[in-house]
Amino acid sequence: MSFPVAKIALRLRLPAAISAAVGLIAVMAAVGALFPSVGHTIGTLNVPKSVSNLLGGGDYGTITGWFRSEIAAIYGPLVIGALAITGASATTAGEEEDRILGLVLAHPIRRPRLVAAKAAAIAAIVLIVALGTWIGLILGVALGGGGITLAHMTALALQLAFFGFATGALAIALGAGSGRRSLASGAAASVAILGWLINSFAPLVSGLDWLKYLSPFYYYAGHDPLTHGVDIAGVIVLGVLSLVLTALGMIGVEHRDLRA
Amino acid sequence: MTAPPVIVASGLSKDYGSGRGLFGLDLEVRQGEVFGFLGPNGAGKSTTMRLLLDLIRPTTGSARVLGLDTVRDSLEIRRRVGFLPGDLALYPKLTGRAMLDYLAQLRGGVDPRARDGLVERFGADIDRPMRQLSTGNRQKLGLVQAFMHEPELLILDEPIAGLDPLVQQSFHSLLGEVSAEGRTVFLSSHTLSEVERVTQRLAILREGRLVVVDSLENLRKVAVQHLEIEFAEPVDADGFRALPGVTEVREDGRTVTVGFEGSADGVVKAAATHEVLAIRPREEDLEDIFLHYYRSETVA
Repeated sequence: MSFPVAKIALRLRLPAAISAAVGLIAVMAAVGALFPSVGHTIGTLNVPKSVSNLLGGGDYGTITGWFRSEIAAIYGPLVIGALAITGASATTAGEEEDRILGLVLAHPIRRPRLVAAKAAAIAAIVLIVALGTWIGLILGVALGGGGITLAHMTALALQLAFFGFATGALAIALGAGSGRRSLASGAAASVAILGWLINSFAPLVSGLDWLKYLSPFYYYAGHDPLTHGVDIAGVIVLGVLSLVLTALGMIGVEHRDLRA
Repeated sequence: MTAPPVIVASGLSKDYGSGRGLFGLDLEVRQGEVFGFLGPNGAGKSTTMRLLLDLIRPTTGSARVLGLDTVRDSLEIRRRVGFLPGDLALYPKLTGRAMLDYLAQLRGGVDPRARDGLVERFGADIDRPMRQLSTGNRQKLGLVQAFMHEPELLILDEPIAGLDPLVQQSFHSLLGEVSAEGRTVFLSSHTLSEVERVTQRLAILREGRLVVVDSLENLRKVAVQHLEIEFAEPVDADGFRALPGVTEVREDGRTVTVGFEGSADGVVKAAATHEVLAIRPREEDLEDIFLHYYRSETVA
């Protein structure tokens, strides 16, 4: 890995990551503060199972269900996934399309090392946002009256980080392999959204339940970290997936022409 | 003993399809020379440079730079070469100083005195973000980064683009110093006058194929020449137009300017049938040479 490359990639995206982390903290504090007055009023949504699955269970009557639906089901993965995907596609294919990579790779640096460094920078961005999620959860749950253990809040932040690693690594693989920013960000975002839908709907369809195992969402939230803590198997799957995708990006960039 | 060539291309090709790319380039660039690589846009100049730096891979053929294979040994080549891309792009949020620091770190560090000397020489602004810099100021930073590690070979794609005349002068004198130190410069241009002043030899590319490689002096010999003939009385210029080898005739009062290829014998004898006050040869510029080869259908 090239440390100068990782450092500059991180430096260029640090303001966005810090803004996202601060934003998450603020949102979760507000969400937590609203629970005592709003959560009990809504209670458990009386909606079809498919809809409640999309919303993380639709149980707004408990603090765990409230944060699962408000943060864990959509908002958290949306923010961390969006940052990981846009950052990863911009730092690989985006820099290639902007003709910056042509200058950088005229220097004595191997392409796979460059991709590894950029993947490391995106992982650091994801960790910053996950840390913001963790702090926000602690603050929000405290403002909401408590009721979720520190271990379970840590579990959600950890699972979310590994979800971010995997979506970022997918964008790295596509960006480094193709050199096309729109392909990298578009395809990675589509996979993330499709994964969310599959994880929500597949268990409801007899015979298609197995499809959930293809979704990164299943390994992130299928085990419900706010209720059951860390899902070691899920973390391992997402971690291995991230490493494999990054390796594919490193191999892909080595054997092709730079586009610009 | 003659030093081995710094760049050797052997049948080097990059086929992009539809007739675009580079086809069968055979070329040698000698140590210590400033070598001009000419051609209109799309002729294959940038493609050649990108092939030499392993940014793209050849379809067929091969090239050696500093005695090393451009694909197998590209890391070592890139360590010893300075490169200025033709479409220079830098991180818009970074200052020039941060950008130069970053690129220096990619080389494992450079002598800060060399870098600072170049910054001063070109008057580069290194304290403002790139997005606030003009094209010329960004180009100055591009030149600084290409020269700052004192490479054995400089590959410069359109280096003068956007530079003001004073900086151009600094750049030309730097090329002279680099060449005197035995280092080599391989630079491309489609702005012909900038190459004319600094190169010892040049190659002309057209539609991906090498048209000619020679010294400027030899190229001038075969190019269209012009004689400006001042007569005592106005003459009928049609007599010159009918002469073999004549490509151009211009009349201006008593003065006729004749452009021709090959021997001047016919033009001089035709002029001698009138009273001639003066005959002045016009110094050929590279534009004429370039256009001569560009228009020619004969591929060397």
